[in-house]
Amino acid sequence: MKQIKHIALLFLVAFILLPFAGCKKEKDIIYEVNDVDINQPNANKDYVKSLTEFISIAYADLFGQNISQTQLQGLAVPYSGFGDLKLIEDMIIKNFLNNPSVVMPTDEVMRTNVDQFLLDTYQKFFNRYPNEFEIWYLKGLINDNSDITPELVYYSVMTSNEYRYY
Amino acid sequence: MKRRGFIKKAAATGAAAFVAPYILPSGRLFAATGTRIVDHVVFCLFAGGVRNLESVHKADGNLMPNTLLGNESISTDIASGIQSIGMAGSQRLQEVGTLFKEFRFNQGPTGHFSGHSSVMTGVYNLQDINIRQRPQTPTVFEYYRKHTDPNASALNAWWVSNSLGPYPALNFSTHPEYGALYGANYIQPSSIISQGSYDALGNPKVFTQEQQDKVGSMRTFFDNNFGNQEVLGSAGVTNTIADKVAIESFILQAFEAAVAGSYNNPWGIGGLSGDQFNVFFAEKIIEQFQPELMVVNMQDVDVCHTNFTGYANNLVKADYALGHLWQTIQSTPGMADNTVLIALPEHGRNAAPNTVIDAYGRYALDHTNDDMSREIFCLIAGPTGKVLQNQVINQVVGESIDVVPTIAKILGFHDQIGGMLPGQHLDAAFV
Repeated sequence: MKQIKHIALLFLVAFILLPFAGCKKEKDIIYEVNDVDINQPNANKDYVKSLTEFISIAYADLFGQNISQTQLQGLAVPYSGFGDLKLIEDMIIKNFLNNPSVVMPTDEVMRTNVDQFLLDTYQKFFNRYPNEFEIWYLKGLINDNSDITPELVYYSVMTSNEYRYY
Repeated sequence: MKRRGFIKKAAATGAAAFVAPYILPSGRLFAATGTRIVDHVVFCLFAGGVRNLESVHKADGNLMPNTLLGNESISTDIASGIQSIGMAGSQRLQEVGTLFKEFRFNQGPTGHFSGHSSVMTGVYNLQDINIRQRPQTPTVFEYYRKHTDPNASALNAWWVSNSLGPYPALNFSTHPEYGALYGANYIQPSSIISQGSYDALGNPKVFTQEQQDKVGSMRTFFDNNFGNQEVLGSAGVTNTIADKVAIESFILQAFEAAVAGSYNNPWGIGGLSGDQFNVFFAEKIIEQFQPELMVVNMQDVDVCHTNFTGYANNLVKADYALGHLWQTIQSTPGMADNTVLIALPEHGRNAAPNTVIDAYGRYALDHTNDDMSREIFCLIAGPTGKVLQNQVINQVVGESIDVVPTIAKILGFHDQIGGMLPGQHLDAAFV
């Protein structure tokens, strides 16, 4: 009986002291490096772009300016009228790419510095940096295939699954 | 005793192993074994709310001469408001099939979407419908694509709708075992064949096959590296790469034809009404792809809320479109004499009019769940030897939810979905 009382007392004391036990002020440690805003490869992109988001973002990515409301409404028409959205997106992107106002590096610029082209492309379209494997693979592909143009890379990126998400 | 038990169990196990279903790559246990009646079904929702009184009962004359036998003249008070178009072919559809004159839309609200949804899923919607959501029960397209062996591609299943709003959602359901994977290609022709769509899609960059192969390699690489699972159905129905190419080519050809003026008067009856254009484009799909299952709708008769004579006139136009659709089917190799055409309204209209009077002195009609708004007809037309010809069923036989089981029977997957649907297949129409 006495032993049970002791145990109960111990628990009571521990319970009273518990809130104070973990209260230790955290030190601010500065490692003297600049803050960098980096999205990890395959960062959480859980949301599918809406119709208007997809068109607006694609337009801004390719033309470097915001789409007008009138253009947006016009482009939304076929989007609503067909059930395979990827097919319509593919067609919209191909129509965008056929527009002479598209802002795109030349083939020469791409091949002069493939790494930089890939960094820029990933940031522009996927809003993240490519990982080492992605750079290695795509760099090899571009270097080994003289017929791969920036246009083809842009088209592939913009019709990929990742581009449909944010 | 133990030994006998063991032998029994062993024998049972052996027998079970012997008859154990072969699990197909599609995930199905058994291959479809059902015998088909024909290889194609075109289901025309003669929708918008059509009363039996003006259709099969001909209270204002025969407003559907392409469908119904008889030369009853149109009521004199509205005759001048009705455009005479004539016949699309030499035969009336009633002659090449079975007409259920007293079909019923038995349950659920007599609303357009409710009617469409019920007849396309084979299940009445008895609860409030959220028109922003897809149906919860599978559509006829999903049953067809999932339970047809080998699995049918989306190119074989089309939902051709005359309007947007909630209707695009009827190409597949949210049912976890069906869904987008088995959905139909949805198209709303008046949206696609428009200036806006032409501007958006009509001038694409053309890539060579070699370039497309490179794009395919890169896209596959990007997709494989995308850690997140793609949400199934987030991009709608998915066609194979080859089918996408075929559909894109088809759309671009349609643009060219429209720009060239080929769509201005394609049937030689003047400009097409909305319903007629929808059916016309469905015919283009039929000619191009010979789909096994197509649902196409019309809804222009719904002007009846404010204009009775306009309703009667649009009934004439819709009837012509239905007749033309049949002619196209019969002139399309692969589908001629190998297609069953089903036509029915999604619901009727009220017996009592509302207060709106048209220019001809006729009162307009709504559709608000009274008995007459549940009275519809159903026509099943098809080849001799398959569908009973020139048969009229005057008794109350059949209801909206029977259409999906009937399509399942025609296309040979009824046994695979047996017990899943409350409706019955309409045996009375078939040989």
